[in-house]
Amino acid sequence: MDTFTKETISLLALIATLLPLFSFAGILLVPGSRDRGSFFSILNIATSLLISVVIFLNVWNKQPIHQQFDWFIIGDWRFKIGILINNLSALMLLLISFIATLVHVYSTKYMEGDPYIFRYWAYLGLFCFSMFGLVITDNLLLLYMFWELVGFSSYLLIGFWFTRETAVQANKKAFLMNRLGDLGFLTGIMIVFSQFQTLDVNLLFSEGGFFKRSLVQGDLWYFSSNHMPAVWLTIAGLAFFFGATAKSAQFPLHTWLPDAMEGPTSVSSLIHAATMVAAGVFLIARIYPIFNPTVLIVIASIGAFTAFMAATIALTQNDIKRILAYSTISQLGFMMLAMGVGAVAPAIFHLVTHAFFKCLLFLAAGAVIHELHHLKDKKGLDFDHQDIRNMGGLRKFMPITFITMLLASLALIGLPFTSGYLSKDAILIQSFEWAESQGSIARIIPYTALFASWMTAFYVARLIFKVFFGELRLNVLFGQAFSLHEAPVAMKSVLVVLAIFCLFPLFSLNPFHASHAWIIEGLPYFSTTPTVESYHILIPAVVSIAAIILILIGYKWYGKNEKAPDYTKAAVFRFSQEQWYLNRLYKVMFVDSVLGLARTAFSFDRTIVDGIVNFSGKIIIVLSAVSEWLDRKVVDGLVNGVASVARTIGNFVRHFQTGRLQHYLLFMILILLTFFVLKYFSQAI
Amino acid sequence: MSLLSLLIFLPIVAGILILLLPSAWQQRYKYVALGAVLLQMLISAYIYINFDNTLSGIADQSTFQLVERIPWIRLNLGALGNLEIDYFLGIDGLSMPFLVLTSLVMLVALLASWDIQKNLKGYFALFLLLDCAVMGVFSALDFFLFYIFYELMLLPLYFLIGMWGGVRREYAAIKFFLYTLLGSVFMLLVIIGLYFSVTDPETGGHTFNMLHMMNPANYAQDSIFSVIAGQEIFGVSARLLAFIVLFVAFAIKVPIVPLHTWLPDAHVEAPTPVSIILAGVLLKIGGYGILRVCLSIFPDAAIQSAWWLGLIGVASILYGALNALAQRDLKRLIAYSSISHMGFVLLGIASATSEGISGAMMQMISHGFLSSMLFFLVGVIYERVHNREIPNFRGLALIMPRYTVFVMIAFFASLGLPGFSAFIAEAFSLIGAFNSQSINGLLPRWMAVAGSVGILLGASYLLWTLQRMFFGETRLWGGDEWKAKLTDVNGREVFALTSLALMSLALGILPSLAFDKMNASVLELIQLMNIR
Repeated sequence: MDTFTKETISLLALIATLLPLFSFAGILLVPGSRDRGSFFSILNIATSLLISVVIFLNVWNKQPIHQQFDWFIIGDWRFKIGILINNLSALMLLLISFIATLVHVYSTKYMEGDPYIFRYWAYLGLFCFSMFGLVITDNLLLLYMFWELVGFSSYLLIGFWFTRETAVQANKKAFLMNRLGDLGFLTGIMIVFSQFQTLDVNLLFSEGGFFKRSLVQGDLWYFSSNHMPAVWLTIAGLAFFFGATAKSAQFPLHTWLPDAMEGPTSVSSLIHAATMVAAGVFLIARIYPIFNPTVLIVIASIGAFTAFMAATIALTQNDIKRILAYSTISQLGFMMLAMGVGAVAPAIFHLVTHAFFKCLLFLAAGAVIHELHHLKDKKGLDFDHQDIRNMGGLRKFMPITFITMLLASLALIGLPFTSGYLSKDAILIQSFEWAESQGSIARIIPYTALFASWMTAFYVARLIFKVFFGELRLNVLFGQAFSLHEAPVAMKSVLVVLAIFCLFPLFSLNPFHASHAWIIEGLPYFSTTPTVESYHILIPAVVSIAAIILILIGYKWYGKNEKAPDYTKAAVFRFSQEQWYLNRLYKVMFVDSVLGLARTAFSFDRTIVDGIVNFSGKIIIVLSAVSEWLDRKVVDGLVNGVASVARTIGNFVRHFQTGRLQHYLLFMILILLTFFVLKYFSQAI
Repeated sequence: MSLLSLLIFLPIVAGILILLLPSAWQQRYKYVALGAVLLQMLISAYIYINFDNTLSGIADQSTFQLVERIPWIRLNLGALGNLEIDYFLGIDGLSMPFLVLTSLVMLVALLASWDIQKNLKGYFALFLLLDCAVMGVFSALDFFLFYIFYELMLLPLYFLIGMWGGVRREYAAIKFFLYTLLGSVFMLLVIIGLYFSVTDPETGGHTFNMLHMMNPANYAQDSIFSVIAGQEIFGVSARLLAFIVLFVAFAIKVPIVPLHTWLPDAHVEAPTPVSIILAGVLLKIGGYGILRVCLSIFPDAAIQSAWWLGLIGVASILYGALNALAQRDLKRLIAYSSISHMGFVLLGIASATSEGISGAMMQMISHGFLSSMLFFLVGVIYERVHNREIPNFRGLALIMPRYTVFVMIAFFASLGLPGFSAFIAEAFSLIGAFNSQSINGLLPRWMAVAGSVGILLGASYLLWTLQRMFFGETRLWGGDEWKAKLTDVNGREVFALTSLALMSLALGILPSLAFDKMNASVLELIQLMNIR
């Protein structure tokens, strides 16, 4: 396998990336029947998977591959783009292609019969292309481009059923919130470019890269001949983190993810649980040297808080997908916390393990939803097929779905012998160690996460017991005995494969300790916190024992159909069920206020800005009316006046011209008389 | 006769031919026009392919391409010296992309004129006259000639809006005409002032040659615009004042906030093809004029006012976008979005960095393609049901799927989806603006950050429109009658829309198609601005 040259591997990576794009273009541009595309896209994604395996074997723990070529020239600056495959990106490539292939297979049955299914395959292709591009590119601008394209394909898939009002509201919300985060990303790019004149990830962030060589002295941040105020280094870190916050659904930009569950469940599984939402975590790992201690503390706090907040919300939700969505947010919070405390490798490790068990949870939930939906259609009933209050006792009808989902749940809770145990406890241990070295207030952070982890145990237990134990509550609701079926083979087999990945052996030979897990060993450790040996035993023990107690309580309340205590009236319960009222708050604070501002701007534009224009137009019209009046009455009046004087005189004189001889004689005599009279008097004088 | 003259006068020839053809053949006029426009397209494609990237242009005639310089008017004015006006054409990296853009936009506009019924002879003759004037503006290097073409554009536009427009067409046409004329009248004063300040180094006579105006050595020692003399008018530096006057003249065209209100009215009332030309080409003349005239002839004043230019840019981006968010009329929404997008042009120009100016150029080209596409799309539904109020439509995706695909492409390309030209353009305008503080200290960094909020607002109004008009179950204000009339796009429309979308896609994936051609000129322009 070592025979491949660098060029071949980059070419292979390029092919693996472009194949799904080929599905996208091929399905949309070549006309055909409406159910076309499934075979074509599965073929392409499977080939991508094979290539990813080859790449992984050739890159993992070996020399990273970096190939570049020119894209364009702007000013004096040659813009290069290329492919950078190190352990991190090889791992991501493999993970994404593997899960995507499984989800493709699952979708053949799950989406069967949809009237527009060819669009589904095409959009999935676009998504996979963007995601692959995101992980292999070596350039921040290109990373940003794929980052946005990932958001765009997510938009298309959330709104796949575009006639549903809730779906198109949700995809708009998702895109806009991600756009908001993208502003942060873009700001970060601008700062980095301005300081270093390059966006090459390798140059900037490698060992001895530009970031390592730049230094902060006093208030200024220097790199070779450039400098800018040091605060921009912090802003850059915060800006990139803000971008990651949106994509990885961290507080305060997490509210789009639960709504995104309007998309098909297979999409939720691939995009909104396993891969895309992890892109924020990936980004942070890729550009880790940019974060200074201030930013890292912010990341850790936000991560821990998100983990806690999302877990409290998941406790009371009734929509099966919504519970899982909040659980995803919570787990992403753990990853962010890990990043903040310097546990980069455990964060990525958790990203990988989480991808498998969360994908499985969603696909199993999808199987349940699929069967209930089927029942609903067949019997013509009306109930919410995603509401766990309508389920119950499903383990009898769907044993394989039950067992696989149970395994995934145990991994999510983090009980021993599962993959989740390894990765989550690694994070918790390191956050406690970090808090130890930081001092008193920082201790709140790992404790918050610890609480979140306990709550996870409880809400997962609630979910499993309500769905799979007890009696099918639909029977009670409609007063007849329904029977359900196990999911079809295409779906079932995918669940089984994923279940294998929820167990420890694939990740670490030691089921109790993650430090020799191959993923952790293969990724760089940035942490410098001292090891506290006692934590490595204490924390897993505390987490597991408490989790088991909480599961037992959950079993008592929900599994045995005993009456659970009713808290629905409590304010805390309402607060949790209403998702901390954040949606309403955002609507008032941002949506309504921006729309109000827009309306104000428009009326300002109409009345004031355009008003001035129209007003000056009117003034000119008035002025011209005045001048017209002046012209008519005064200037022309003068002319007319002269004329009319002449006419009056003329009229007057005309009377003398009568044409009668007698009159003329009379005038002559009168004139002569006057003459003589005057002459006489003048002489007398 | 050079290619540029051919490009300019080909439409005139076709226009005269149309005037001469009998009215009985009026259904064939459009084919004559189409022939002329297609030929023009071929010529500009030829020019593009044979364009030499290494020649920079800007202030040196020898590095311009396709230069044509013929003495045109020579008058002995006695004591005032010789009047020298040349028929002087030439292109560099700043103007060549616009020739290509213009010929494509004209082709699309012509395809959008296919169903015009009223007074065909007049329509196509005016259309072609406009085409000639626009080509002339982009190729003229003599300021007098430039001004002639510049003013010549107004005439056909006035009639095209005033005669073939909507209900309030006369109001809109007069508003447009007077607004732009107001700007250009004062421009004439500056042109005359420049004429008396600048002498031709070869002949010693006064000249309108723009390239001579860019060289401070050509200004007479004590002339009004001399760099050294530093003359003042009303206590303000004469050069600064002249810069402001010219800037305002071009800024009205761009348009900038608050000189923009003619634009929404003109667009709303203009027929679809005129909207396409207006947004696709005419707004770019403003940006081109700022680069070619304001920055090149008065670089010192430009540097001095850069902060204000940047501020106006940011204000236009945000104000235009907010206004777009409040619209109910689809066409007015797009008109306001144009204001927002053109704000990026100004922001990029104000930065005086190579990234910023290249980004601004790219934004103009990109907006040329995309706004043409958007107005074409509005025209499609307006032509079918004579209505374009957003709340009157819902769920169009179900009855017009192909149309919806094009709308989605145009909307997402406009809101800066990577892969399309607008993304590259906006990203580099902003990067340039941000970089400016470190390179030349002209713009503060917050301006770029504030400008980037525009891309969020841009996404908001476009996605909201998509959601309201295209998704959901079909519900139309006009009921089944509309449903029958709202047929999907036909072959002619698909051709026009596809070609625009492909151009935008090509520039988004291979920005070098444009950047490589203009890079030498952009660098030379920055050099010119920094020398003084």
